[in-house]
Amino acid sequence: MSLAAKHVCFAYLANRPVLRDVTLTVNPGEVLYVLGRNGSGKTTLLSCLAGILQPVSGQVLLNDKDVRQYSPAERARLIGLMPQVHIPAFAYTVREMVLMGRTPHLGLLGTLSRNDYAIADEALESIGLSDLHDRPYTEISGGERQLVLIARGLAQKANILLMDEPSAHLDLSNQHRVLEIVDQLTHQGLSFVISSHAPNNALIYAHHVLLLSHGHVLAYGTPAETLTEERLSAAYGMRAEVIYGQSLDSPMPRAVLPRRPLTLSPESLNNPGSELNQIFEQSQHSPQLLLITGLTGAGKTSWCTRMAQVARSQGLRVKGVLSPSVFEGESKVAIDLLSLETDEKCRLAVQRNDRGAELATVLWQFDPAVMAWGNDILGNLRDSDLVILDELGPLEFLRGQGLVEGLKLIDEKRYRVACVVIRSSLLPDALERWPHAQVVNGYSRV
Amino acid sequence: MTFLRRCLQILLLALPVLLFLLTLVLGRYHIRAGDVVRILLSPLFPGLAMGIPETALRLILRVRLPRALAALMIGASFGVTGTAFQGIFKNPLVDSNILGVTSGAGFGAALALLLMARPWQVQASAFVFGLLAVLLAFAGSRLYRSTPILILTLMGILIGSLFGSLTALLKYIADPLDTLPAITFWLLGSLTSVTSRSLPLLAMLTVGGAVFLWVLRWRLNVLSLGDDEATALGINPVRLKLAIIVCATLMTSIAVSVAGVIGWVGLVMPHAGRLIVGPDHKRLVPASISLGASFLLLIDTVARTLLPGEVPLGVLTGLIGVPMLIILLRRSRMGW
Repeated sequence: MSLAAKHVCFAYLANRPVLRDVTLTVNPGEVLYVLGRNGSGKTTLLSCLAGILQPVSGQVLLNDKDVRQYSPAERARLIGLMPQVHIPAFAYTVREMVLMGRTPHLGLLGTLSRNDYAIADEALESIGLSDLHDRPYTEISGGERQLVLIARGLAQKANILLMDEPSAHLDLSNQHRVLEIVDQLTHQGLSFVISSHAPNNALIYAHHVLLLSHGHVLAYGTPAETLTEERLSAAYGMRAEVIYGQSLDSPMPRAVLPRRPLTLSPESLNNPGSELNQIFEQSQHSPQLLLITGLTGAGKTSWCTRMAQVARSQGLRVKGVLSPSVFEGESKVAIDLLSLETDEKCRLAVQRNDRGAELATVLWQFDPAVMAWGNDILGNLRDSDLVILDELGPLEFLRGQGLVEGLKLIDEKRYRVACVVIRSSLLPDALERWPHAQVVNGYSRV
Repeated sequence: MTFLRRCLQILLLALPVLLFLLTLVLGRYHIRAGDVVRILLSPLFPGLAMGIPETALRLILRVRLPRALAALMIGASFGVTGTAFQGIFKNPLVDSNILGVTSGAGFGAALALLLMARPWQVQASAFVFGLLAVLLAFAGSRLYRSTPILILTLMGILIGSLFGSLTALLKYIADPLDTLPAITFWLLGSLTSVTSRSLPLLAMLTVGGAVFLWVLRWRLNVLSLGDDEATALGINPVRLKLAIIVCATLMTSIAVSVAGVIGWVGLVMPHAGRLIVGPDHKRLVPASISLGASFLLLIDTVARTLLPGEVPLGVLTGLIGVPMLIILLRRSRMGW
């Protein structure tokens, strides 16, 4: 009994691919975890594997035969799907829910036999839910509902069970109650594909992990191979920290934690041994990228200006651009572009019209000549100790316009230390692109 | 528990039969219960009817019997199609009128009445326009590519409103002394015009449809979990739902064409059934057949015996159905 996906692509709308070239294999007795951000395609992948959705290209093979070539009943006897737990409109009893697993085994007249009841009761018994038997499915706890769905999968007598976020909404003990039962069932030859938002559970229970990002496979392999800091950062668009523990002879990943943004004061560069100082030390061996982030008005540009001053006072070569805002009273009316090498300043953008303040989105009129000048500076940056890039925004990330030379500079790692200002909404995109970056809070007052 | 359940099941089966016999006895022209049984058996054993007045014989066989049979079948039809629709739409507040059958049939009947048609023509027109309304809803839903059932429901509501407006227009131009009361009375629902000639087609579609839905009773459970889950459990939900919709539409069209617009039975009876036998369609389908049949028969008996004139059925089902639903919803175990 094996399930495999070969180069599966899927799209709900023709030009919006949800899955791109996904290839995987599930062997008997194996647990495969599918991890990824919201909207990365996990549920769609499960639906394709279950034969509910037809891939646009590629194939899902169940015992070497295309899963879509089975009749729904034939397929349901081999593969079971447990959707995200939802509460049905009608209060079926636990036993009735489990009995529904017998549907693919029914004849044309669709009546349940004594044997069907026996199998359902046995499935409930084996999961330890016999006591709940007559309780309405709508009134039991979330953990129990998840277990009932597993019992239904068992009653279905399918050897491959696909579970969509089984640990969502469950407390710690219920998560592990469910997953321990999953683990025990793998010893009976059942295999599981589990989509999840819990990398820590994958570390404990998965045999293999598939890391999805925007529908393509970012990594696929054992948990230790797949769940590295850099890959997790890229997959989730956040800085992740993997805690290792010693197991036999090699260090094994034990837990995944989020890494919070660093709070660094530019002036601390003067203190030997400070975090910022160490980053500059390390830049002698490998390029260091700092993403300066924070809410609008937090003081990201001021942070960079101070950084430039402190670095210059230490005799470091500081290059790149700043884009300070020009205020008229309370409102931001223009953006300048300032070259840190020559201290030349040009007006980069002005508000498109004076009604701007009334509009929900402020419209900016960019000066193409100044933008070209900025790109020229960034494209020909050489021999710097510190590059400051203020800022890369939606224009660059989402539309590929604006200071594209800045993106290229970072992509090609033509820097020793780079401070790039990124608004917090774009941080995930930036970390997907540069998973090795460190995130720094750009507070102007520390 | 099981003993109690067994008793309830037997009671549910016996209820329509008991009410059926009771309603034949009740009426302004008094006939004794023993005589009623003898008259009923007389087609098989001609000797039994000896000594019973000809009027009683005719009244039972030509008037009360067809009317009671029609009430049983139409009630059963509303009950079971309501259950099926609540199941497939996963929504306990719909019945088979959601796709516009009733509005279409109402318009068809009003049109025929306006043109001074004969009773059978009124029925035929109601039946055809009932089907036409659902066909239009189908055609409309094909304009959209996604989620066919959801769009179908939306289209059903829209087409229903459209026919509602058209019916209002017909009422506006109808003769207020003659045609308008006829249209109004038809739209309120009544079994007065039922004759034995209305029965064969009604029986065929109702019994056939009810058997079809009964065969699907277990699959209705699975369908009520949603399309993805149903597919994963080995069912083709789209095809099955369409089959159920076609079946329920035929059943509802014929019922409405015979009896006029009678609301609430299809909405309330499934809830009553769920309270008695639980939500499992294996038991709920037979229960809603029995409850629907009993309910409409009871209502019709009340309608024709309570007051000197006939009370329209649609009025009574509303007056009784709405408070019933309010109580049932309070007692039923639903998340809201």
